[in-house]
Amino acid sequence: MKIDHSVPLEYSTEENKNRIFGFWVFLGAEIVMFSTLFAVYFTLWNRTGNGPTAKEIFEIGPVLIETFLLLTSSFTIGLAINSMRQGLMKATMGFFAVTLLLGLGFLGVEIYEFVTYVNEGATLQTNAFMSSLFTLLGLHGAHVTLGLVWGGGLMLQMKREGFTPDTANKSFIFSLYWHFLDVVWIFIFSFVYLKGLM
Amino acid sequence: MKKLFPLQHVMGYVSSLILSVVALTVLFFDMSFGMQMTVLLVCAIIQMSVQLFVFMHIGETGSKTSLYTNIAYALFVGIVTIFGTLFTMIWGYQ
Amino acid sequence: MKWDEFFVTGEPMIYGAMVSIVLVSIAIVVGLTYFKKWGYLWREWLTTVDHKKIGIMYIISALIMLFRGGVDGLLMRAQLAVPENGLLDSQHYNEIFTTHGVIMILFMAMPFIIGLMNVVVPLQIGARDVAFPRLNAVSFWLFFAGAMLFNISFVIGGSPDAGWTAYFPLSSIEFSPTVGNNYYSIALQIAGLGTLMTGVNFIVTILKMRAPGMTLMRMPMFTWSILVTSVIIVFAFPVLTIALLLMMLDRQFGSQFFTMANGGMDMLWANLFWVWGHPEVYIVILPAFGIFSEVISTFSRKNLYGYKSMVFSMVIISILSFVVWAHHFYTMGHGAMVNGFFSVTTMAIAIPTGIKIFNWLFTMQKGRIEFTTPMLYALAFIPIFTIGGVTGVMLAMASADYQYHNTMFLVAHFHYTLIPGTVFGVLSGMYYWFPKLFGFRLNDKQGKLAFWVIMTSFNVTFLPLFFLGLNGMTRRMYTYSAETGFGPLNLLASIGSVGLAVGFAILVYNIYWSFRYAPRENNGDPWNARTLEWSTPSPVPHYNFAKMPNIENRDAFWFAKKSGKSLYTEEYSDIHMPNNSGQPFILGAIFMFFGFFMVFNWWVGAVIGALGIFIMMIVRSFERDHGHYIPVKEVVATEQRLRGEQV
Repeated sequence: MKIDHSVPLEYSTEENKNRIFGFWVFLGAEIVMFSTLFAVYFTLWNRTGNGPTAKEIFEIGPVLIETFLLLTSSFTIGLAINSMRQGLMKATMGFFAVTLLLGLGFLGVEIYEFVTYVNEGATLQTNAFMSSLFTLLGLHGAHVTLGLVWGGGLMLQMKREGFTPDTANKSFIFSLYWHFLDVVWIFIFSFVYLKGLM
Repeated sequence: MKKLFPLQHVMGYVSSLILSVVALTVLFFDMSFGMQMTVLLVCAIIQMSVQLFVFMHIGETGSKTSLYTNIAYALFVGIVTIFGTLFTMIWGYQ
Repeated sequence: MKWDEFFVTGEPMIYGAMVSIVLVSIAIVVGLTYFKKWGYLWREWLTTVDHKKIGIMYIISALIMLFRGGVDGLLMRAQLAVPENGLLDSQHYNEIFTTHGVIMILFMAMPFIIGLMNVVVPLQIGARDVAFPRLNAVSFWLFFAGAMLFNISFVIGGSPDAGWTAYFPLSSIEFSPTVGNNYYSIALQIAGLGTLMTGVNFIVTILKMRAPGMTLMRMPMFTWSILVTSVIIVFAFPVLTIALLLMMLDRQFGSQFFTMANGGMDMLWANLFWVWGHPEVYIVILPAFGIFSEVISTFSRKNLYGYKSMVFSMVIISILSFVVWAHHFYTMGHGAMVNGFFSVTTMAIAIPTGIKIFNWLFTMQKGRIEFTTPMLYALAFIPIFTIGGVTGVMLAMASADYQYHNTMFLVAHFHYTLIPGTVFGVLSGMYYWFPKLFGFRLNDKQGKLAFWVIMTSFNVTFLPLFFLGLNGMTRRMYTYSAETGFGPLNLLASIGSVGLAVGFAILVYNIYWSFRYAPRENNGDPWNARTLEWSTPSPVPHYNFAKMPNIENRDAFWFAKKSGKSLYTEEYSDIHMPNNSGQPFILGAIFMFFGFFMVFNWWVGAVIGALGIFIMMIVRSFERDHGHYIPVKEVVATEQRLRGEQV
């Protein structure tokens, strides 16, 4: 394994560069995947049958908390990578931990939101609008959940091995994933919640 | 502190918060539907760019042309899927 | 799920299938034990990450699926041979045309193409493996798990019966209450994940792992076609992922996407299916275009005419392929604006495709054409595919399509594109690259005989369907009365299908005979070809290239042969190679069990399967595997043995 020291550790080998590039390509596929769900949502969102409409069930409060938590976590994972590039282990671990805690908080609020919907009688089975809403939010939430497990695992690996081409590469890829989830959330925030409440 | 919180990242974060607040105004000010959608779209696109360029460092490697092409192609297919579906299933449906 | 519905009962043919599945399984187990091949199987195949072996496994699976799908086709033709035939009942007929379509597209055409690209692309660009060898193995085992899961539906639980397009509301739980369509959504999902990863893998491989000096515009045309195909895979398959997810939610979790009450929209399924489905058509046809470009150029002894326009037309096709999908359901009832738009975009695709046809013709013009088996397939492809293309333009006209829609005319059209395009393409590629993998050519005489029988029978089978369609015979009808007058042409088509079966039997015999008796050639370049893969010894050593080639132009190997200059100027050195791993196989097996429990709504088993999948992912994340080095001494020894040269 040849290590190139002129670039950040995460790019330092041929395999590492390929992995980062490959993950970008995968994110391209993820863009299309979420676009398809948005297409389904926009087609079905005002087909509510006998069930509730968007205006009736959306509440802006929890959504703003979720947005704030996720935006902040995107900021802190960026800072984690910034610290990693300077070789600051403690700061990196700290920012990683904050990111994952914020993610956990986001997930908590989202679950609370889902429980509220179900208590109001709006479930996956209620109407086409609720089906598409739960699926879009649920798939994003599932990505966040997977990210929590992934990020936790990476913290363990960094703790055990320090900054190596492997751990740095994985952490950088994780940061790409996490920023991407934030981008998806921005579109959910704008075109699901704000548009629904308009 | 400067080491841990570089200016670019802080600016990026602050701007994304501001843009979210700007997007929120569609709920509180009286605007036409077209105006509302424009505000949402512009804010979302700027926010996406902040993430891509500032946080994700899309332009930092030698393969940036491929990366831009990749994202552009994905956005093309995504937009075609969204608007094509609306076109066939709703707007163009008799 | 009632237990008495678990196994499919009441059909003698299915009992026969069960018995034969059990017998074949026992025969495989006994054979492996008797010849002591378990260790060999595990070390050399199940755990391999070598792109060539993975490619071979893909192609073998594809050939097996070709026969499964082919038997389905034969049964359909047997049923339709005479009016009022009672060979199959309507339910059985529905299941058979559904599995025929799904298997031929997703489990025959796709893996055959992915197999060929696995074998050829790294060799054509001068790479020692793909970018992510382990992921490549995962792709294969996911595909295999999906294919096996789909195939057991035949005897356990019942096959899907709503057509390969599985249109709602017919495929909803209300109208298709058996588990058949659960198999459809879950097996395709698993196989589709594998395909998506293959797409990512090959984009990175082609863009990042080319030999020094091989710029994009110096790549062989087949590699170009695979790059474009991979791009389409990466951006089209996520749509299928979502569509299948929504189908599963609708059928098994009571959601309301495609229902007819509570706001659901049944045609939304058709829309999503074809947003993926039309690019999928180009995923299976573009690699065939690439194969024909290589074959025609090699056997005309000329460079490919209009290289840049070939590349350009493929890129245009890849973009246009995403904006034509609604032509599959013109008759849904959307307005003139929608139909007009999609009519125009669809016809526009004929332009880049036409450019390619002319380029092939000009490549052959004044060439010294050699009529080998692969070249025969390429030559037959051009006129037959053009018939398919021209009828495609007829179907593209929205107003006329009301007449053709869902008739045998359409069936004839897409068989006229997919068989000369994809099937002839992969067969041509198989004959062409076979010596690279095994060190000998398939017997040419038998190959030509198989070609003539297949090509003639294909036309006898499918040409009558155009006329049947125009006379009003709709697709998917399981029988018809004598008064319709459909009888004679249907009988002719059925006779043709027997011919096709004979042709493929000859092809199998050709492979068998050649393995036993064909002369072994100590020659890496039996066809006197042009591209880089032929500069390696045959069969290729597992590291592909002992030294990295240095590329200075298109068809670099051809010019190296002409000028006598070697492509390989480096010194020998240690070669870094990836390690084998059993994890991809285990992951595939877990996915299959997970899928099986999901199909039957057995949640305990499904949760355990899902946990197993996550554990495998965590194990992989914590693993550190940096491959191994082949010492230079061993490389030199291997090269001397294979090339017989003094180093």
